[in-house]
Amino acid sequence: MEKLKVLHVDIGGCEGCNVSILRALPNIQEFVDLDMKYLAKKTCAGDKYDIVIITGGVCMNEPHIIEKVKSLREKASTLVAFGSCATFGGILRFCRGGQEPRPDHRNFQPINSVVKVDYSIPGCPPTPQMVQSFFKFFIAGDERRLRLFKVCADIKKLSGFDLIDDIVLTGLCIGCGACELSCPTQAIKMIDKRPNLIAEKCIRCGTCYVRCPRASQLLCMGGRI
Amino acid sequence: MIGLPSENLLGTVFGVYLARAKDEEIRKRKVASGGAVTALLTYALEKGIVDGVVTAKRTKGFEGQAIVAHNKEELLETAGNKWSIVPFAARMKAKIEEEDLKRVALVCLPCQAQFFAQMRDFPLLETDFGERIKYIVSLFCMGTFAFEAFLNYLRMKYGIKAEQIKDIHLKKDFLEIVYNDTKLDLPIEEVYSYLQAGCLVCTDYTGTWSDISAGFVESEPGWTLLIARNPKAEELIKNAEKEGYLELREGSHLIGEVLKKAREKLARAQQNMMYLL
Repeated sequence: MEKLKVLHVDIGGCEGCNVSILRALPNIQEFVDLDMKYLAKKTCAGDKYDIVIITGGVCMNEPHIIEKVKSLREKASTLVAFGSCATFGGILRFCRGGQEPRPDHRNFQPINSVVKVDYSIPGCPPTPQMVQSFFKFFIAGDERRLRLFKVCADIKKLSGFDLIDDIVLTGLCIGCGACELSCPTQAIKMIDKRPNLIAEKCIRCGTCYVRCPRASQLLCMGGRI
Repeated sequence: MIGLPSENLLGTVFGVYLARAKDEEIRKRKVASGGAVTALLTYALEKGIVDGVVTAKRTKGFEGQAIVAHNKEELLETAGNKWSIVPFAARMKAKIEEEDLKRVALVCLPCQAQFFAQMRDFPLLETDFGERIKYIVSLFCMGTFAFEAFLNYLRMKYGIKAEQIKDIHLKKDFLEIVYNDTKLDLPIEEVYSYLQAGCLVCTDYTGTWSDISAGFVESEPGWTLLIARNPKAEELIKNAEKEGYLELREGSHLIGEVLKKAREKLARAQQNMMYLL
């Protein structure tokens, strides 16, 4: 079988996602040719890729980043937003200016604010196993398993706040505790069998939302197939 | 593999069986059906295929608690319906880590099966323990009760206290409540509104994300219908039969009955979604 030609580009994040992809490399190189700036030798290069993976959020004050994302879209048969910043904005949503290296920037958006995305994989950062799983199901054409990520590609924000609004306040929460277990910052605590959000701790990564069985079921039902 | 399209209400169906525990003791203790899940997991535990089974045990009234069973005795104590959701997730992780379990089987409801299977297939967090989950067994589910409200209703209308309730069975259109050696038949419609709102919009009857789905069908009382969803699950069921833990019959002809229930649940969900969302 011919290997998938994959390009990874980071447009500004904490590098956590990049490390995840690097860590997955030994297990995916059997079926993927990965082009990534951290690899000294380019394994594949060209104008067309089967998959382009973008990590990091788009800084809307930087026209050249927006242009770069648009040109990446043209190179990609399939565009994957990887990690919470690229997917839902993530912690970059909290930028208020004053941060290094460009202190004035305060408007970061997920990739799908600029171009059409095919799959959005949240997680802060998603694990290396997630990278493997994605390629495994993508190559196998297992759309049923990938549907959640396909649906996420059309969503611009998801967070603990949305989980509380959409699932808990509507009374749809069934009290299983999946969100509490899934929160990487422990922003969710079950109190009387229902989740409560510690707002200051939520980094808008969206993991709790896609992990909530009720929320993910509803997302997949109403989403693009 | 039986002839269902892969995109259907029941998910991937690899094999369908009617099963029953061979062990008399398990059958005597069984509540909903033939005790096949208990027998199957006893086999997995005794042969060292898994080193623990995480399941729920009824504590009082309808309330359940997540526990880890290591042998048949502990499994038997957990047999039976809970009728409420058990906040499994965080407690389960703590249990698995405390006891350093490497291969566990989970018995859960379709919603929980979805969550754990997604965690196993797509580990989003370094703290996920998906690789330790060997088998996910989900039970057919029409919904769980908001049990405080339901118990309150039973107390107000019928004077039944939570601690008096010994058991609850679903019988056609009735809920049979066993308390103080007496039985009360409640029409489902009467208690329908005490189901959790989240369950009223759920579309998954069998637990399409699990490895094995188990439940009962009305036309075969005393038997458990098992749906194996992958070769791994099929192997476990077949081997349990070979080793004398399970009595197996072909069950494909009953898939229509399951599908009917699944459609009912989907229709209910779609109807309720209009009101609730």
